[in-house]
Amino acid sequence: MSSQWWEIKIQGDAALEELVYWRLDDFGCHGMATEPQDDGVVIRAYAFQESVQELDLAALTTWIRQDVIAAGLAPPQITWTVIDEEDWASNWKANWEPQEIGDRFLINPAWLEIPDTERLVLRLDPGAAFGTGVHPTTQLCLESLEMRGGQSNGETVIGDIGCGSGILAIGAIRLGMGKVYAVDTDPLAVKVAKENIELNQISGEQIIVTQGSLDQILPLAGKPVDGLVCNILAETITEMIPDMTDIVKSKGWAILSGILLDQAKDVADVLESNGWIVATLWKRGEWCCFNTRKAE
Amino acid sequence: MAKKVVGLVKLALPAGKAAATPPVGPALGQHGVNIMAFCKEYNAKTADKAGLIIPVEISIYEDRSFTFILKTPPASVLLKKEAGIEKGSGQPNKDIVGSITQDQLRKIAEMKLPDLNANDVDAAMRIVAGTAKNMGITISD
Repeated sequence: MSSQWWEIKIQGDAALEELVYWRLDDFGCHGMATEPQDDGVVIRAYAFQESVQELDLAALTTWIRQDVIAAGLAPPQITWTVIDEEDWASNWKANWEPQEIGDRFLINPAWLEIPDTERLVLRLDPGAAFGTGVHPTTQLCLESLEMRGGQSNGETVIGDIGCGSGILAIGAIRLGMGKVYAVDTDPLAVKVAKENIELNQISGEQIIVTQGSLDQILPLAGKPVDGLVCNILAETITEMIPDMTDIVKSKGWAILSGILLDQAKDVADVLESNGWIVATLWKRGEWCCFNTRKAE
Repeated sequence: MAKKVVGLVKLALPAGKAAATPPVGPALGQHGVNIMAFCKEYNAKTADKAGLIIPVEISIYEDRSFTFILKTPPASVLLKKEAGIEKGSGQPNKDIVGSITQDQLRKIAEMKLPDLNANDVDAAMRIVAGTAKNMGITISD
């Protein structure tokens, strides 16, 4: 079942934004959205429906009105309603279309029929997990896997760190790799990845998905893997690099993305100081992807 | 030709931690924007500011693509940091929870000036002082 949230809507003067933020934050709303209107702003904040009663919302309304009046502004209009996750999660999906990536892949939304194609089809319903194929970093990782895929056989074993929707793990199997150990710290991503693996009729023994991070790979695989693919963020990757060395075989490889171009040098320096050779750096927009191999 | 902007949304989010949950999901989903693509971009550009609230102003175009610019943290977040407190006061008329100096107030106002509806630092200081008063934070001379 999808989650339900209280949507608290506050309409009034543009100065409200600064005034109400802390009240909403203290109330337990994680962030807020503001949209301009002709005569002011509309602020929307959200609280988990199960943890907040209508009486709490009425009290919040009173506090906010008092704050606004004390600041010499006209009292805002405050209303609340329950919304369902499905209300917004499905909107962008309506505009998501099949997408060719690299020389070999076609990303196909799960709810659309598979077109007649010679490409390797990845069927996906990413839900709220990362990895739709739209982002340049995902595309760069898939294209890098294509390059590695040409050298692989059914014996190649890799790790997918921060697997999100499972798009890269599924892509690796489609390219003929033998086995993927996929991990993500987000339990929602683990659930979504498992669903997508099933959707693509791949055996749960070919892609093993577990909640966790890099340190799960060696215990799961039992020995160092041939390669790693990791599309997260530069900060996280930089922290992981010292531990990557023992997890990958001698002459093994790693595909690393989620790195902004202006972060590339720092990441490359950490790689080199930990015994990795940056073979290529691929760029798309302001993002880049490292294809690296382990030094002898 | 420049793309037509069809929506403008400002989100106040924890740096490096945007996710498809509210407020990101509803705010961007209604415009058909790929929510996770935004989260990836925002998290990459704010990861070095972990622990702060970094508002972001997002322009949404007719082809559902987007661009964004990062803004300064909300005044209340800066006030709590300067006053060394975790929360504002539930009853600011009765319970004072912290204090900052005029210099600290000016520092916050100068930082916030580009994003406030104020023409100069003095006007920005008045706005920030109003927020401080509502939070139960006094300003000493």
